[in-house]
Amino acid sequence: MKIAAIAGSNANHSYNRMLLEFMARHFSDDDIDVIDIRQVPMFNENYKGKIPEVVADIDRRVSSADAVIIASPEYNHSITSALKSVVEWLSYEVHPLEDKPVMIIGASTHDQGSSRSQVQLRDILISPGVNAYIFQNEEFFMSDAANIIDDNGNITNEMTIHFLEKCVREFKRYAKAINQMVAEKKEAGKQ
Amino acid sequence: MKILALVGTNAKFSYNRILLKYMKKHFRQMADIEIYEISKLPPFSVDVPLAEQTEVWKLKQKVKAADGVIFSTPEYDHGIPAALKSAVEWLSYHTNVLSHKPTMVVGVSYGRQASARSQVQMRQILVSPDCDTNLLPGNEVLIGNASHSFSKDGRLLDPQMRDNLEDCFTHFVEYIQIFEKVNKEGLDMSVKQPTISEAYINFPTGRLTLKEVQQIFSTIPFEIDLIDSTDHFAWFSDKPNREHVRNVASLGETVQECHPPMAVPTVMKIINSFRNGEKDVVTRPLWMNGHRSLIQYYALRDINGHYLGTIEFTGSVEYILNLFENGAWGTDGNTSASKHDEPANDGAEEESVDASTGASESSDDGNAEPTSSTVATPALAPTVDAAESDATTGASDAGSVDANDEEADATTGASEN
Repeated sequence: MKIAAIAGSNANHSYNRMLLEFMARHFSDDDIDVIDIRQVPMFNENYKGKIPEVVADIDRRVSSADAVIIASPEYNHSITSALKSVVEWLSYEVHPLEDKPVMIIGASTHDQGSSRSQVQLRDILISPGVNAYIFQNEEFFMSDAANIIDDNGNITNEMTIHFLEKCVREFKRYAKAINQMVAEKKEAGKQ
Repeated sequence: MKILALVGTNAKFSYNRILLKYMKKHFRQMADIEIYEISKLPPFSVDVPLAEQTEVWKLKQKVKAADGVIFSTPEYDHGIPAALKSAVEWLSYHTNVLSHKPTMVVGVSYGRQASARSQVQMRQILVSPDCDTNLLPGNEVLIGNASHSFSKDGRLLDPQMRDNLEDCFTHFVEYIQIFEKVNKEGLDMSVKQPTISEAYINFPTGRLTLKEVQQIFSTIPFEIDLIDSTDHFAWFSDKPNREHVRNVASLGETVQECHPPMAVPTVMKIINSFRNGEKDVVTRPLWMNGHRSLIQYYALRDINGHYLGTIEFTGSVEYILNLFENGAWGTDGNTSASKHDEPANDGAEEESVDASTGASESSDDGNAEPTSSTVATPALAPTVDAAESDATTGASDAGSVDANDEEADATTGASEN
């Protein structure tokens, strides 16, 4: 399955980006395209001209994917402004997340493992401007990321890997179902 | 009461800005509301050097000096705008300026929901441990249907909404006052009374009450600021009409915190040259607030020469220069034969009268008091250090008098912006 994976941090060192890069390597049967948001400018509704090229690039990559995974850190009980800015760009002139199956995951160096920002991100992604389908059967929170992801970006804990595999397996099943439903809906709309 | 109000969007047109402007005007009897535009700030990132973010520093100073902060938020995708989140991230990154700060959330939107969800999110963020604000509970200001709720000249039309806004803002003012009472100690400092007014200090050269000490500092025509030996802003003299306006909220800040980021290296250079004994004084003549001023930094040392801190000594020298330019010292300033000169003009009457002791001109004849040796440093002719002046402003033409308001200020720098 072709999966666009958005790393929700603009920090150079990000366990969330490392987590997605690990997944891209680990799930080699799938095509996981890790999207780096570091170059995305702050959203501004008065932006002149077309959307920035870096946003257009993300739009193309998300649009062409069968499903989306977003890895969200947590700043102040909340998603990062950098990730919020990306969601705002993707719900303004272009809407690639519309009807797209999305799984939210997250890693944090603390105990909560970004749980609160994930709850918030869910609420944001189901808003009318975004309108994504959020996978809700499994929740993947990685706490203590600094001790679970090693210097090479590999997950050192077997249990974590097994659970991640389960999450991805279930998510892919969900994504297939949603994509089928959306396709039928579109088909029905044409008739 | 000073309240800072953040417009929660970087959009050029915003009903949230209109709401804050309305509040500023409507509540002008109750509080001084300053509106801040978050569009000035760079996008938050842990990888941009914090030490170069002058705008972020300015905002932090504003928050610190404010009695309360209002966040007016629109709603983008069920959440607060990224630009507003970014501002909050800056305000909670390597700083605790928001800690225990009374805060209030208001919001306007086009739809009926009136930014309710983003306000819930904003409240959640403001009570997260990184922000740790004293958020005003309840008191929801939810103004929907924005384009019909405001008149063209920005007045809130609906009487019920207006009543609600008045109630909520009044509660916010009361809420701030509750915390001010709790922070009584801080208040004691801000009313500027020495803590033990009856006490006095025995100097080797006489006795002063604390009140006299305080009033001496308020009366002499130069203002004094002190950075202590651990590089914290420790004290400033309470002189009226200061060249550098200081705020008690800045006391206790480190040199890095209380200066514009760009000025920090120069300031640290001066302080370190004092600490390691390289220099005792750095002098900077410059234009400030439209007149010629002199800033002198002195190393404060104990009698054994150990570094105690850095004093910044600042004042207008217009009066002195005018005296000089009008020939107050006559033409034989280089000789010692001046004691019996006629006063050069009518501005020189202060010259011969010594109201305190009657000792008149004899006070400079070498009959020095015991303490004078310890204050010898200021008496040395300070040399204008052109290199220092340059380093401060980055100007390349050595020796030029610096008329730039943005100059470094080795004590806090809080005022020039």
